[in-house]
Amino acid sequence: MVLTHLLGPKRKTTDKLQTFASGIETHGDARHPMAIKYFLTAILFVLFDVEVIFFYPYAVNFKGLGWEGFFAVLLFVAFFLCGFIYIIKKGALKWED
Amino acid sequence: MNYSQYIALIPLLPLAGFIVLGLFGKKYFKQSAGIIATLLLLVSTALSIYTAYNYFFIDGKIDGVYHSVIPLKYKWLSFSENLSIDMGILLDPIAVMMLVVVTFISLMVHVFSLWYMKGEERFSTYYAFLGLFTFSMLGLVISVNIFQIYIFWELVGVSSYLLIGFYYDKPSAVAASKKAFIVTRFADLAFLIGILILGLQGQTLDFGVLIQRLTDIQSPQFISITSASFIGFSVMTWALTLVFIGGAGKSAMFPLHIWLPDAMEGPTPVSALIHAATMVVAGVYLVARLFPVFYINHVSLQLVAYVGAFSSIFAAIIACTQTDIKRVLAYSTMSQIGYMLFALGVSGIGDEHELGYTASMFHLFTHAFFKSLLFLGAGAVIHFVHSNEMKDMGGLRKLLPITHIVFLIACLAIAGIPPFAGFFSKEEILLAAYNSNKFIYGIALFTSGLTAFYMFRLYFLVFWSKTSSAHAHHREGNAAMKTPLVILAACSILSGLVSFGKYVSADGKEIESHFHLVFSIAPVLLAVTGICIAVGLYKNESGKPQRVASFFGVLYKSAYRKFYIDEVYLFVTKKIIFNLIGRPAAWIDKNIVDGLINGIAGITADISSAIKGIQSGKVQGYALYFFGGVLTLAIIFIYLWK
Amino acid sequence: MNALLLSALWGVVMMFSSFLVKEKSAIRNMAVAGLVLLLLVNILEMNGKVFFDINTRGMIYFDRFSLLFNSIAFISTFIYFILSAKDMEKVGDNYAEYFALIFFILCGITLVTSFKSLLILFLGIEIISIPLYILTGSDKRNLKSNEAALKYFLMGSFSTGLMLMGIALIYGAKGTFMTFVPPATVKEAAQATPASALLIAGMILLLFSMSFKVSAAPFHFWTPDVYDGAPSVFTSFMATIVKAAVFASFIRLFNDAFGAEKSQWQLLVAIITAATLFIGNITAVFQQSVKRMLAYSSISQAGFMLFALYAMNGDGKEGLILYATAYSLATIGVFAVLIKLKDFSFEGFNGLSKNQPILAATTTIFLLSLAGIPLTAGFLSKFYMLKAAMETGQNLWLVIFAVLMAAVSVYYYFRVIQAMYFKDGDVSPDLTVSPAFKTILVFLAVLVILLGIFPGLLLNWYYF
Repeated sequence: MVLTHLLGPKRKTTDKLQTFASGIETHGDARHPMAIKYFLTAILFVLFDVEVIFFYPYAVNFKGLGWEGFFAVLLFVAFFLCGFIYIIKKGALKWED
Repeated sequence: MNYSQYIALIPLLPLAGFIVLGLFGKKYFKQSAGIIATLLLLVSTALSIYTAYNYFFIDGKIDGVYHSVIPLKYKWLSFSENLSIDMGILLDPIAVMMLVVVTFISLMVHVFSLWYMKGEERFSTYYAFLGLFTFSMLGLVISVNIFQIYIFWELVGVSSYLLIGFYYDKPSAVAASKKAFIVTRFADLAFLIGILILGLQGQTLDFGVLIQRLTDIQSPQFISITSASFIGFSVMTWALTLVFIGGAGKSAMFPLHIWLPDAMEGPTPVSALIHAATMVVAGVYLVARLFPVFYINHVSLQLVAYVGAFSSIFAAIIACTQTDIKRVLAYSTMSQIGYMLFALGVSGIGDEHELGYTASMFHLFTHAFFKSLLFLGAGAVIHFVHSNEMKDMGGLRKLLPITHIVFLIACLAIAGIPPFAGFFSKEEILLAAYNSNKFIYGIALFTSGLTAFYMFRLYFLVFWSKTSSAHAHHREGNAAMKTPLVILAACSILSGLVSFGKYVSADGKEIESHFHLVFSIAPVLLAVTGICIAVGLYKNESGKPQRVASFFGVLYKSAYRKFYIDEVYLFVTKKIIFNLIGRPAAWIDKNIVDGLINGIAGITADISSAIKGIQSGKVQGYALYFFGGVLTLAIIFIYLWK
Repeated sequence: MNALLLSALWGVVMMFSSFLVKEKSAIRNMAVAGLVLLLLVNILEMNGKVFFDINTRGMIYFDRFSLLFNSIAFISTFIYFILSAKDMEKVGDNYAEYFALIFFILCGITLVTSFKSLLILFLGIEIISIPLYILTGSDKRNLKSNEAALKYFLMGSFSTGLMLMGIALIYGAKGTFMTFVPPATVKEAAQATPASALLIAGMILLLFSMSFKVSAAPFHFWTPDVYDGAPSVFTSFMATIVKAAVFASFIRLFNDAFGAEKSQWQLLVAIITAATLFIGNITAVFQQSVKRMLAYSSISQAGFMLFALYAMNGDGKEGLILYATAYSLATIGVFAVLIKLKDFSFEGFNGLSKNQPILAATTTIFLLSLAGIPLTAGFLSKFYMLKAAMETGQNLWLVIFAVLMAAVSVYYYFRVIQAMYFKDGDVSPDLTVSPAFKTILVFLAVLVILLGIFPGLLLNWYYF
C-alpha cells in the first residue's frame, strides 16, 4: 500500500482538492463565525431530545415497574424540569438581544 | 533512680528558648534574647552534668557494667502489634557523654555569641535558631529508636540550613546553606532506606531490641536479613551501608564532604557548634550507636574504617594548602572525624579489642573542646581583622594576647603533643589501629604529622609571620568573649587526663588504658617534626613557602583546588544530569508545551484562526502521546503477562 | 447515601440561588452552610444514622473507607471555600453557578468512593469530569482558559472512551457490572479460574483511563496545560480534592474487581508509578512559574499515591487516606496564598516574609509538608506509602527510586521558600489579607503539623 502510494502518479487539480459535497458546489468556508445562540438552541434541543428517549424503555416496561417506577420517572422529569426552568430564567432561549 | 523527672528538660529548655524567642523575640526581647537563651542553656548544662554524675558515679553501674536506662518512653505510632515507633529517652555511657558535650559546647558558643553577634539586627532570631539546633542535637543523642534519631537528624539538617544561611543577604551564604542541606539530604535518604530495611527485617525500630536481634546469630531476624542478598551482598550489608552513607553525609566524609568548607559562610560561633559538638559528630555517634550490628557485619565495618582513614588523610592534605582560616579548620575537622570513624572501624568487642571504640569516643570528647576553642579563637581573630584570609593577618600575638595563648594551647592539643588532651585520645586511636590494621595505622601516623604541620602553619601565619600591622585601635573584647576561651582552653589541657576507658566502652565494662611510652615516641616525634617544618617555613615571612609549593607542583595545586571534587560534582550534576535528562524534559516542555501557549498569547491578529490551527495540532499531538502511551504500556503488559 | 442526595440537591439549590439572591456574600454563606450540612449528615452516617434508604440493588455501598474519604473531601472543600471562595468573584459573573458545579462534583465524588458497580463508577467519573471542564473554561475572556477547557474536554473524552470500552469488555467476560461477585458455591471459590483475555484487556483499559484521570505518566500531558490555564481558584480544587477522590475510586476498583489478578498488573503499576515520579519531579525542577511547578508537583505527588495501588494492602489504604489529606490540605494552602499574589513566577514570592510574615511562614510549612520533611503530615504519609510498598517484598528499586525523587522534589519546593525568605523583593505592596484568612491559614498549618505528629487523629476514624 505504501509502495503504490509512493510510486503511483499524482495529479493534483483544483477540482480534486475541493471539499466533496455530493457534487454540489461548496459555498465558502465551513469555519465561519456564527452567533452563539444558534449553537445554544441546537445543543439544548439535543439535550432534551436525548432525555425524552429515556421514556421509550419506560413505556415498554410501564406495567412491570409499577408505582415505584412511576415515582422514579416523576423524579426524573422533575429534575429536568428544573433544568428547563433554569435555562429559561438564565435567558438562554431569548432570541432578541 | 529517678531520672525521668528532669532529663526531658535538657532538650526541652533550648526548645522553649526557640519558641519564645522565635515568636516574641523581635518585639519583646530584642536586647535580652542572648541572656535568656544562655540562662536556659545554663540550666540544661547543669542538669546534664548532674545526670552524668548520677549515671557514672552513683547508679548507672550494675555489677561493674554500665547498662542503658530508659527513663522515659511512650508509644507514638503503632503499625502492628510488634512494630511501633516510640519516643523516649535512652541513657547509656555515650548518650550521657554526648549530653554533657553538646550542652557544654553550646553554652560556650552562646556566651561567646553574646559578644560576637552583638548589634546584629536579627540577634534574637540568631539565638532562637541556636536553641533549635541544640534541641535537635540533644534529641538525636538521647533517641531510643532509629526512627526518632532520623526525625531529629532531619531537624539538625533544617536548623543548620537556617544557621548557615543566617546572613541571607550574602549570596554565598545562601548558596552554602542550600548546598549543605541538599547534600546531607541526599545522604539522609540513603539513611531512610536503611532504616526501612532494618526496621522491616528486624521487626522493630528500637535500638536495644534491634541490636539484640541482629547480633544473635540464632534469631530468625538475623537469619532472614543475612540470607537474603542483593547484587552479591547480604541485605544486612546494604542496610548498614545505607545507614553509614547517611552518617557520612552529616559527618562530611569523602565523597560527601563538599558542603563542609562552604558551611563556613555562617557566623563563626555557629561553625564552632557545627564542627565541635553537633552535626558532624552525628555520623560518628550513629555508627557508635549501632556498633554491635556493624561489628557483626565485617564488610560494612571495613567500609567505615577505610572511608574514615581516607577522609582523614585527604582532608589533611587539602588543609595544608588552604588560605582561608576557617577552611583550614573545616578540613581539619573532616580529618579528625575521619580519625574517629576509622577508630570505630578497627575496633572490636571484648576486653582487648574494644580499645578503638573507646578511643573514638574519647577523641570525640577531647576534639569537641579544642575544636570549638579553635573556632571561637578564629572568630575572635576574624572579628579583629575583618577578613577570613590569612594573608590579611599576621603578627597578632601582641594585639590579641589571650586569643594567642588559647589558640596555641588548642593547636598543641590537636597536634597531639603531651600532655594536652589530643595526645591521649589520639594515642589510643593509633594504638587501636596498630593492633588491628597496620595499613590504617600508617595512614593515621602520617596524618598526625600533617595535622601538626598545618595547624602550626595556621598558627604562625596568623600570630607571627609579618610584623603587626595597623589594627592597634581595636581591643580584644570583653569578658563574654574571654571567659569561654579560657574555660575551653582549660578543658583542652585537662580533658585528656580523664580515664575515659573506665566509663565508656562498647560493652559497658571497664577497660584499661594501656600506655606504652615507647609507642608514643613515633607520633610525637612526627608531630614535633611537623611543627618544626612549620616554624621554618612560616615563622618569619619569607619566600620559602612558595618554593615548597612549586616543588610539589601538581600535588599542591590540586590540593589547593580541593582535588577538584566540587568540579566533579558540578560536572556530573550540571553537564551529565542536566543535559541528558533535564534538558530533554525541559525542551519538550518549553518547545511543545510552553511555546504553543506563548505563541497563542502573542498573536493578536486573526486570533480565532490562529487558535484553530495551533490548538488542533496540539491536541492531536497530545492524543498521539496518549495513544502512544496506551500502546507502549499494553505492549509491556503483554510482555509481562504470566 | 445522605451526602450523595444532599450534595445533588444543594447543587440545584445553588443553581437557582443565582436568580433569587443577588448578594455575593449571601451566596457564599449559603454554599458554606450547605457544605457544613453535608459534612454533618456524612458524619451522622458514619455513626450509623442513614436518613434515606434507597434500594440501589447493591450498586452503591457506603463503607468505612468511602465515608471517611467523603468526610475528608468535605472538610477540604470547606477549608477551600473559606480560604478562596472570595477569589472566585474575580473569575466571572456566574458566581452561584461555580458553587453549584462544585457541589455536583462533590456528588460525583460520593459516587466514585462508594461504587460497587462499574456503571456507577462511570457515572461518577463523568459527573466529576463535566463540571470540571466547565470550571476550567469559566474564565471566558481568557484565551488560555478556553484552550485549557477544550483540551481537557477532548483528552478527557478519549479516556472516557477507553473506560467505556474497558467496562464493555469486562461485562463481556463476567456477564455483570458488579465489581465483586461472591462465588456461588464453596467449590467454585476453591477452584480459581484463570482470568480470560477479555477480562484482562478490559482491566488494562480501565487502568489506563483511571491513570489519565489521576494524571499518571504517560497520560499526564494534559495536566500542566489544564492546571495552568484554568483559573487558579479552580486549579486548587481539581488538583487536590478531585484528584484524591479519583485515587480512592482507583484503589476501590482494583481492590474489588481485580484483586485476584494482582500479580498481573502489579509490575505495570510499578512502571507507571516510576514514570510518573520521574516526569513529575524532573520537569518541575525547570519551571519558572510556581503555578506550573505545582501542576508538575501534583503529578509527582500522584506518583506517590500510586504506591497505595501498587501495594494494595492495609498500610497502603491507611497511607492513602493520610496522603490524600496531607496533600490536599497543604496544596490548598499554597494555592490560597498563590491566588493572592499577582505574579505567579518564583520572583513573585520574593520578599514575602517581610511584607506578610504569617503568609510566608504558613506557606513554608505547607511546602515542607509537600517535600516530606519530618514532623509534617507529608513526611508520615510518604513514610506510610514506602512502608506499604516495602511490605510487598518485591521491587525494592521502586522504593529507592521514589526516595531519590523525593529528594529532587526538595529542590523545587525550597526554591519558593528561598524566594520568600532569602531574596529581596517587593511583593505586591497593595496585597491586603483579612485577619480571618490568616487565622485559617495558621489553623491549616497547625493541622498539617498535628497530623504529622499524631496521624492517629485521622486514622482512628478508619477503624472506629
